[in-house]
Amino acid sequence: MCAQAAALDMSVPVEPRPVRKLAPDGVLGMLIFVFAEAMLFAGLISAFVIVKAQAAGAMWPPYGQPRLPVERTAINTTALLLSGVVLLLSNRSFRRGASAASGQLLTALALGAFFVGFQGVEWIALIREGLTLTSSTYGSFFYLIVGAHAAHALGAIAGLAWAWARLRVGRLTEAQFATVQVFWYFVVLVWPVLYLKVYL
Amino acid sequence: MKLPRWSLALALLALILWPDAAHACAVCFDPNADHRRAFLVTTAFLTFLPLGMVVGTGFWLRKRAREVAVEEDGGAAE
Repeated sequence: MCAQAAALDMSVPVEPRPVRKLAPDGVLGMLIFVFAEAMLFAGLISAFVIVKAQAAGAMWPPYGQPRLPVERTAINTTALLLSGVVLLLSNRSFRRGASAASGQLLTALALGAFFVGFQGVEWIALIREGLTLTSSTYGSFFYLIVGAHAAHALGAIAGLAWAWARLRVGRLTEAQFATVQVFWYFVVLVWPVLYLKVYL
Repeated sequence: MKLPRWSLALALLALILWPDAAHACAVCFDPNADHRRAFLVTTAFLTFLPLGMVVGTGFWLRKRAREVAVEEDGGAAE
């Protein structure tokens, strides 16, 4: 009986189980990058919170420094959040194979570009009002934190533009789109935290 | 050489009780309550954020592994 079983075992070809991929390589790589960047922003926010708590006379913004445009930036924040929602819709359309995906992706891209452009306009106005990188720790932190976010937003917009160009010619894969989306969602989700901490 | 268990317990106890409070530490001994709170909150934030991200990724990968296993079983049944 044992010999029979052994013979049977010998007849079965031994093949290693194929490796199961839980997520595309690009998505995992982007997640690791996003985690590192999340820690960068966490460090910047933490430093800002401590400097703000130690402000002389508990006066923040410091005396003589302009106030940040809270209301206008709230509108800009809405545009950025909306771009995240539109990108989600684009992802759904893409998975269904619907042609609407291209237009939705372009809309998300345009909303992101609007956000960065609006930030640029705000910066010019603030510099004219006297808030510069060297005018105070307030100005230093503002430009450092918001600038770091804008740099990430520009990178993510470039990624979205690349994805849109590939989608137009039918060469965008699901993995590539997911990778670009992870970066954009990071840019979208980190902004409300920065807005609450830096602007309010 | 095998050390008795009580010596390990004693060493642990010494490690816990020996250190004195570092009075130069701005986090624990800042006279201003707002500063102290800011230090503590940011310390907790920077401590738990990476842990949260790692644990969150772990849960997501586990969920994905189950989904992939179900997909494979479904494919094998067909």
